[in-house]
Amino acid sequence: MYRKVILGCALCFSALPSYSEVHISGFTSINAGKVLSGSGVPHYGINEATFLADYPIVSVYNEDVSFKPESLFGLQVKADLGEGLSATAQIVSRGANDFETKFEWAYLSYEINDTWTIQAGKKRLPLFYYSDFYDVGYAYIWMRAPADNYTWQIFNYNGVNVLYSGDIGDWSLTGNIYYGREDDKENKLLSDFFFQEPTREIWKDILGGVLQGSNDWLELRATVMTYTNQRFRSGEPALWNGKDERDGTFYGFAANADFGDLFVLSELNRLDLDGNLDTVMLTLGYRFDSLTPFISYSAFEQKDGDDGEDHNTTSVGLRWDFHASAAFKIQYDEVEDNSTSLAVAGDSKAITIGIDMVF
Amino acid sequence: MKNLIVLMALLLVSSFAANAGVDVIVHPSNANAIDANTIKKIFTGKAKSFADGSKALPLTQGDSSAVTSEFNEKVLKKSSSQLKAYWSKLVFTGKGTPPKEASSDAEVLSLVANNPNLIGFVKQGSADGSVKVIQSF
Repeated sequence: MYRKVILGCALCFSALPSYSEVHISGFTSINAGKVLSGSGVPHYGINEATFLADYPIVSVYNEDVSFKPESLFGLQVKADLGEGLSATAQIVSRGANDFETKFEWAYLSYEINDTWTIQAGKKRLPLFYYSDFYDVGYAYIWMRAPADNYTWQIFNYNGVNVLYSGDIGDWSLTGNIYYGREDDKENKLLSDFFFQEPTREIWKDILGGVLQGSNDWLELRATVMTYTNQRFRSGEPALWNGKDERDGTFYGFAANADFGDLFVLSELNRLDLDGNLDTVMLTLGYRFDSLTPFISYSAFEQKDGDDGEDHNTTSVGLRWDFHASAAFKIQYDEVEDNSTSLAVAGDSKAITIGIDMVF
Repeated sequence: MKNLIVLMALLLVSSFAANAGVDVIVHPSNANAIDANTIKKIFTGKAKSFADGSKALPLTQGDSSAVTSEFNEKVLKKSSSQLKAYWSKLVFTGKGTPPKEASSDAEVLSLVANNPNLIGFVKQGSADGSVKVIQSF
């Protein structure tokens, strides 16, 4: 992760003593899993037991062992141009997309001073606590950030982001405000899973803010984001109450407490989009040197109507830091899908194992 | 039995000896008051300057070196994998850059002796007059 290549430009610009430092780093996850049992959703033609491990990327496991749904390889190149200016690109190749390689991040960053940084380009939408490092399995405890929470179909945006970093007493504060839009010509989650027809998903006028504070043992994060949604199903505009667009507001709160060996991770989120969609997550873990067992519960609930989307997952797992830059993980998930007309993948019990690395 | 006790005592002593202690060092001209909490903040990217406003650049050593593990555990209160997970989160979200890495105590000493912005750590007792020891752990 700390590898650094100095590209001396003495030959190409011999008159200028300028050079840029290029940092190359990366991450990879090789995961395998299978469904042990499950109901599928027969009324939507899903007759096989199915475990949807990840919504936005549509990582689907069935009864045959598969390595593809969640395996990925990411490479980040950061060119440090000096005086606070840098350019960063991240390309990710995912098994779920047949290892087709895509730019997930590409942005310029300018550090105005120790407190303020401004960034522009394509970035990850920082909705949930784990959204912007969702792909970096090494950075968290589970096989994946809890699927019931991380269900939103849009996960990148193009725009500007202003970052703040400072402190008050013992508390370190960081925050950011971002504005942008995303036009996903063929959204995978909506096209492949929910509507089963080509669906274009647009989130425009995305405006959001995040504030995070941490001290020695406690970390708190609060966020609000608003956007306007437009959707085209097979080219036809989707209508909501006769209009071709609708506004959504997202609220999120996360608290993580670390008591040395014992730690607690939690998230509480609400999306108000013609009614409330609530998600919760609670994880308990304990560190025995390099072994960290954990239990976790996450749930998604649509508050309005009698047959909204409603599902939850109970998980137990173990992370083993067997190497300085790699972790082995194993996780058992039990999904309960209580929805009928908005059923996602039905009930399932599944097991996944994997290795996460950073370099 | 007696031999066993002696052997255990020897093992205990040698394991203490392995934990040789860590000296945190800066350039001799750096007159800032730097406490343990400030060191922790600088090495986790949460503080970027010394009290007088000058830039603070942390300098670490390789993951596998004993002095690094000792520094991480005693000062940062994190295992090296926890620390690596922490930095991965910042590096891959564009929110931070981990400290630069030197390959030995000798390299840390010579870099710190020549740059007033650097702050580093070496095995206790290896610092010479070219640097200033601000804290020992």
